[in-house]
Amino acid sequence: MIKLVDVHKNFAGQKVLNGINLQIRKGEITVIIGTSGVGKSVLLKHMIGLLRPDRGKVFIAGVDLGTLSSPALVEMRKKFGMLFQGAALFDSLTVFENVAFPLVEHSNLTVEKIRERVMEKLDLVGLHDVDKKMPSELSGGMKKRVGLARAIILEPEVILYDEPTTGLDPIMTDSVDNLILAMQQRLKITSVVISHDIKSTFDIADQIAMMHEGKIIEAGAPEIFRASKNPVVAKFIGT
Amino acid sequence: MERFLKIFAEPLGKRINSVIHSLGHWSLFLFESLAWLPRKPYRMGNLLRQMEFIGVKSTPIIILTGVFVGAVFALQTGKSFAMFNAETLVGATIGLSLTREIGPVFTALMVTARACSAMAAELGTMRVTEQIDALDTMAVSPIHYLVVPRMIATTLMTPLLTAIFDLIGVIGAYFVGIKLLEISEGAFLDKLYYYVDIRDFFGGLIKAAFFGFFISVISCYSGFTAKGGAEGVGRSTTRAVVASSVVVLITDYFLTTWILEYFSRPTV
Repeated sequence: MIKLVDVHKNFAGQKVLNGINLQIRKGEITVIIGTSGVGKSVLLKHMIGLLRPDRGKVFIAGVDLGTLSSPALVEMRKKFGMLFQGAALFDSLTVFENVAFPLVEHSNLTVEKIRERVMEKLDLVGLHDVDKKMPSELSGGMKKRVGLARAIILEPEVILYDEPTTGLDPIMTDSVDNLILAMQQRLKITSVVISHDIKSTFDIADQIAMMHEGKIIEAGAPEIFRASKNPVVAKFIGT
Repeated sequence: MERFLKIFAEPLGKRINSVIHSLGHWSLFLFESLAWLPRKPYRMGNLLRQMEFIGVKSTPIIILTGVFVGAVFALQTGKSFAMFNAETLVGATIGLSLTREIGPVFTALMVTARACSAMAAELGTMRVTEQIDALDTMAVSPIHYLVVPRMIATTLMTPLLTAIFDLIGVIGAYFVGIKLLEISEGAFLDKLYYYVDIRDFFGGLIKAAFFGFFISVISCYSGFTAKGGAEGVGRSTTRAVVASSVVVLITDYFLTTWILEYFSRPTV
């Protein structure tokens, strides 16, 4: 579904991605792990064309993102949903308007149907009676859940999650993990998750990829990862 | 020589390189904004909200500045023209200056100060909090959603505000000229009607539309390129206000040359 070939990216002379090669398979959950500041979010932004590589290519369903015009890129993004690390809610809109935003823009649903879908997704992420609130009135964890509801509202083909469980309590972490699993099992959604949470990673991943010094140093199924002889991987996952 | 190159030439080269890079980037932004302009969907709600913010909410400050600019201009020209016994020309001088020059330029500067600074700050905040990236990921072009309505609204509202500024400025000048300086009301109005042509007025409005277009694109660009948190948003706002003001004053010369050639009466 997503293929990164020899992707390089520098910021102000600092190498962040240094030849990334990674394949995200359709309908699977791929979790990308790595230490803070290693460039995981930068990698995620390359997958949706928010950042363009200095060198290398990113393919979505066989199409090279670098060849797409601005309107074609916008069209391609309809296949994606993304949860940002800081939720990135529109601060001039209410919670309801934030979650409804993709539906208003890309569907012909009636106002009642939109309301029904928004309330259903808010319920799914464990939020009740917050639809009229502004994002500034919510806690960090609540913002993240609203962002999650917004990311899944269109039930897209691919969802990119940038640290979906950071800042959530253990119960909410489990329910977000279950939600990611349910989205994959019910709708065959391809998910790419960035996580620091090793337990969550092994609970949900079909494939794990570890980033270190701008490269993918290990990628494979959780069992392969557990048995990895790479000292960096072993230290990170605590085996 | 090597020391000279290190201290002087290298930073200068870097600066020139950065200015050329910014100009190129700005031109691409402008081109992309124009390319998105005719595309559907037309978000009328967004456009009307921007027109209200830029036009309706700027009206009080335009009225306040317009009345005092007209008043002080009447005071200065009245006192100066009295030295040549030419006070009767105060109305015509103010009418021509306001419609051709002062109205559009002052209005554009006030819109820059009030609305474009807010535009740059709002878009800058959206950039650093990833709200603009979020729009991108939801398959909504941020240029189409955020820039196009602001660009259209500023291009339409700046001429309307200029018309208000012109009218209020003349009223301010009228009161100072007639009531304080005791210039003959008949002469003031007669010369005003005789010398100020509708083409002067419309020439000023065309100029204002160009100003509105440029300041909106500059301010949106500044916001879009903000980086580095609150400090970055502050810098982008300052850059928007300074660049817009400078561009208004520079383009004013070229627009005036063009408008005087094609819009004004040949006799004036």
